[in-house]
Amino acid sequence: MFDGLIAFGHSIWSFCDPMSLGLVLLSSLVGVIIGALPGLTATMGVALMTTLTIKMPSNQALLVLVCTYVGAIYGGSRSAILLNIPGTPASAASCLDGYALAKQGLAGRAMGIATSGSVLGTLIGMFFLALFTPILGNLALKFGAYEFFWLALFGVIVAGTLTGNDPLKGWIAGLVGIFTAAIGQEAIYAYDRFSFGSRDLAGGFQLVPALVGAFGFAELLVAVREKAAPVKINPFDSVIPKLKDVTQYWRTILRSGVIGTFIGILPGVGEDVAAWSSYAAAKRVSKEKEKFGKGSIDGLMAAETGDNACVPGAVIPVLTLAVPGSAPAAVLMAAMLIHGVRPGPMIMIEAPTFVYDVVAMMMFATIGILIYGLTLTQLLIKVLMVPKPIILPIIFVLCVVGSYAISQRLFDVWVMMGFGVLGYALRRLKYPVAPLVLGMVLGDLMEKGFRRGLVLSDGELGPFFTRPISAVLWVTIVLVILLKFPIVGRALGRLRGRAAPRAG
Amino acid sequence: MATEVYESSPRHDLVGGCVWTAFGCLIVALSWQMDRMTQQGATLHTAPGLWPGIVGACLAALGGILVLRSWRRAQRIGWDAAEADDTDYAPMSGFALAAGMFFVYALLLVGRGLPFWLGSALFVSAFVFLFQHARRKAAGQVVRGIVVALACGVLTSLAVTYVFEQLFYVRLP
Repeated sequence: MFDGLIAFGHSIWSFCDPMSLGLVLLSSLVGVIIGALPGLTATMGVALMTTLTIKMPSNQALLVLVCTYVGAIYGGSRSAILLNIPGTPASAASCLDGYALAKQGLAGRAMGIATSGSVLGTLIGMFFLALFTPILGNLALKFGAYEFFWLALFGVIVAGTLTGNDPLKGWIAGLVGIFTAAIGQEAIYAYDRFSFGSRDLAGGFQLVPALVGAFGFAELLVAVREKAAPVKINPFDSVIPKLKDVTQYWRTILRSGVIGTFIGILPGVGEDVAAWSSYAAAKRVSKEKEKFGKGSIDGLMAAETGDNACVPGAVIPVLTLAVPGSAPAAVLMAAMLIHGVRPGPMIMIEAPTFVYDVVAMMMFATIGILIYGLTLTQLLIKVLMVPKPIILPIIFVLCVVGSYAISQRLFDVWVMMGFGVLGYALRRLKYPVAPLVLGMVLGDLMEKGFRRGLVLSDGELGPFFTRPISAVLWVTIVLVILLKFPIVGRALGRLRGRAAPRAG
Repeated sequence: MATEVYESSPRHDLVGGCVWTAFGCLIVALSWQMDRMTQQGATLHTAPGLWPGIVGACLAALGGILVLRSWRRAQRIGWDAAEADDTDYAPMSGFALAAGMFFVYALLLVGRGLPFWLGSALFVSAFVFLFQHARRKAAGQVVRGIVVALACGVLTSLAVTYVFEQLFYVRLP
């Protein structure tokens, strides 16, 4: 307990130099602006900043990425409130009540609620990050090849189930991601798979160019395809958060913080699901249900607390299991690997203080968003007024530079373009993109787990199903899949129908 | 009776399902043709094609389920029934022009001998000018439009070059 606090204190102190503090302010600002600009997502922001920080010392680079991530998730609320356009998918739930409040001339109060919800949400998530990471890290030490196979599969299945409206399409997107991870040299015999004689393809797809494509270029194509909505800013009052809003809705804040963190821990689900789940939970227990969607402070507080609490939550499985809890966390994980940090079960043994470094980074990011939450309104409005034809080509230049910079290969620029087209096509055909990313990130872990498991068991499939943690994971996967079959849903509905009269 | 509609029409899903099934089958076929590495002591469960083969088979199976589902849905609601799409789309010509410019910049202007700053300045200026031209022309501000476009292009390329190369020591294409 005290060791953890001392390590946390050391971590905070290590970032208390002018350079690090300057980076906190700069990267939080970049994050907030990226988040506020409709069409630019947190994933894209973190991916672009990964390339920019590639030559920096690892702790400072990761500090920049965490601040960008937290800032972007917060920044999305600004355009949701002011324009009724979610800056990031995570802020879609905030549009409902945030914009309704803005139309009533209360945009300033709504922004204050978003600031207090986001800050408190991140702090709650941060608390659980510090609390759960060592515990989960110890549990993860019991994981072997079989468990990692099921865990990775669980991540893709859950992401496919929860991130879109059609689980079947989510699972297909996940499988496509897993397949792309299988392209290139395989691990046991260094055999080139699906490379067709190309040396570049034999190296496989790098994660950052693929993510910049799937989230950056694809979003640009979507933005070009859709007409820009006229920007009309409602007049607003003071953006300083009111203490009364926090004290009156403390239950909502706590509940949404816990829900957001828990959803963050689930592999690949991410901030948008956290925001919607927190919103739905708040509506279910609220005494003012009729106000939801018409300017409910409770609803806005829930959505903003939930999505920001999800950020530290999504980092917990990254650190302990090397399984990202969201798409931006997947990029963060890739950045950790680039900077020589090896996330996974050994982290509490190899680099226990790094966990507290990440907690401290979250704390500095929270300070960053608090500062900009109180001060940045006018500048952000000016940024939001910049016409789309000016923003789009600049972002595309950054996408090209971002995908090239990691390995200095033009091939990565083509990969970015290819994944951009794929991401755009999937969006148009109503396939979720998050499972594709999860599949790409976890495909390698899944294959290694599967093949190592088979080697260890000499081809026997039994251990995949009989080891205790494996059994829990595969049973959960089967249940998650079965519950999405209409026939099972109908059977459960009939069972509930029978149980209800008896209970009555 | 409630009308049953989904995000995408059964026809779109049928085409998608067929594509995924075909793609999955292709993966299985290519995986089957891979070297089994038996000369290096590989067995069935360590053969390089096993994993992608399984992934391809699963993809083909899910594609097949999508085909079946779209067929069943089409029997109930028709082939083209889908949720109303209330997105306000820009003209297809504008989309094609923008996509074309993205591709020309990424595949031809970058890394082909032209200095990065020049290629980027040309791309950004051309993009800003073309996509603001109609509005500028209507407002009688064509010259101003050209100046703004050039300023955007030059400033972007200088800023990106300075920040990436000079400040963060990242090589540019």
